[in-house]
Amino acid sequence: MDTTRPRSMNSIALALIPLAMAINIAIGTLATGTPIYLDSVGTVLVGALLGPWYGLLTGILSNVVWTLVFGNQIAIWFTPVAAAIGFIAGVAGRSHLFYRASPKWLSALVGAAFLFALTLFVLMFIARTFDNQGNAVFPTMQTLFAENGLIFVLALVAGAVAGYAVLQQAGYIGTIGLATGVLAALISAPISAYLFGGVTGAGTDLLVAAFQASGASIIQSVFAQGVVSDPFDKLTSFMLVWLAIQSLPRRLLARFPYGRSQPPREAAYTEAASSRP
Amino acid sequence: MIYLPGSGILHRLHPLTKLAAALLIVVAASMFPSPPLLLGALALLLLLALAAGVARRLLPIMVSMFLPLIASLFLIQGVLFPPANATTLVALGPVRLTIEGLAFAGLIAGRLLVTGIALLLTLLTTHPADLVVGLGSIGLPRSAGYVLLVALQLVPDMVARAGAILEAQQSRGLEVGRGLARLRALPALVGPLLVGALSDVEERAMAIEARGFLSPGPKTSLRTLQDDAVQRAARLLFVLGVVAVVVLRVWMLRANP
Repeated sequence: MDTTRPRSMNSIALALIPLAMAINIAIGTLATGTPIYLDSVGTVLVGALLGPWYGLLTGILSNVVWTLVFGNQIAIWFTPVAAAIGFIAGVAGRSHLFYRASPKWLSALVGAAFLFALTLFVLMFIARTFDNQGNAVFPTMQTLFAENGLIFVLALVAGAVAGYAVLQQAGYIGTIGLATGVLAALISAPISAYLFGGVTGAGTDLLVAAFQASGASIIQSVFAQGVVSDPFDKLTSFMLVWLAIQSLPRRLLARFPYGRSQPPREAAYTEAASSRP
Repeated sequence: MIYLPGSGILHRLHPLTKLAAALLIVVAASMFPSPPLLLGALALLLLLALAAGVARRLLPIMVSMFLPLIASLFLIQGVLFPPANATTLVALGPVRLTIEGLAFAGLIAGRLLVTGIALLLTLLTTHPADLVVGLGSIGLPRSAGYVLLVALQLVPDMVARAGAILEAQQSRGLEVGRGLARLRALPALVGPLLVGALSDVEERAMAIEARGFLSPGPKTSLRTLQDDAVQRAARLLFVLGVVAVVVLRVWMLRANP
């Protein structure tokens, strides 16, 4: 029996979305004291269970509530970011990526590739020079590798180990989370730079300052800061939802449109459950 | 929720009137951020807060919300990393206090304060349910309004639940300190919260169905809003003002890029 009605908001969505919005805020408070914001776990959850459009809606409404009820005037300007996160989580949910276990070597590969790319990005950013017209000149890959070979090797090894140990079988969803982080940085950099002078009052402001010290403009610094910190934030959100979905009873999941089509693989199920502290 | 019950002049206004006025202020302050304009708006808004009897509540919220932001802004833009070719005001070793840096930080801080206070004044004097009813009368879908209000009611509940889970896991010996320890403990904290919420969904969905929320036909509301011709005219004026400000800004950019 199909209990979902396409095109109109059904009762399951109406019940889940406000819960998810409250979860966004509650987990945001749990995460204080950690280096990440973690303000979109609920949004990712809705995307995973109800698909992209509900994910997008949850992202938008969350930021509206944050502003219209709690008076946080910064949140409403970042609505496009929240909407994009919900939408991507929804696409991943529709593709059943929240149930699919990846081989662990793939997680190690993703971890290594990401940390390598991040290192390359940061070193490029720091080592760039300016020609006499003020245009940025980036160093060539060869010189960068020659000068910082050890750092790149370390990044590769650390990324592989982290991918293997932390991502484990969530390689697919981990990749989506990291990509979402980069996209979030791209969308939020112009907003943050133009409206708030690159400052949000959070600890990441120090990172913006550090990039500005290397001679970059505000918008470049904010983007660089976002690329460094956002992927880890979004990765954690996606991973937390992945872990929760792995440990949920099938009976509970079966109520949601994207919660039932693909039964979790037995190995992933037990592994994720036993790795929870 | 920051609503403060009361019966001052702002409390008696229609929610949409306040919202339209706040919108005009936000748009004007964003499009024309000039110091005299911002200072004037700031003074006006503070007087309004005093007249409405919410000033004593507004100030602590402002301090907790804007002080870290503005401090960070001045430190980064004004002192540590001023714009290129800035004139030095005071130099103290490698740290330079520059006129341009301070002016830039001051401008952004002023804009943040003006737009923030305009929004806060609206929210302090409008019950969220009235706000949603008001927005519903200009086309906000009923289901979206419902979601906003329910989320609002659920937040304290959910925060309390998160706190209870934190304590329960602590009593089982989970390290939930700060920083990395908290990060490692997150799955054990978030998991129960998500599972608990998902198991609530079915009951809530049935309640929604049982109350006929999704059935077609006209609906009535418990809340009715006070409105009059003057306020309707004022709202129209504010909205026209927003359009005028945007058009003026675009025209000025065209004439003098």
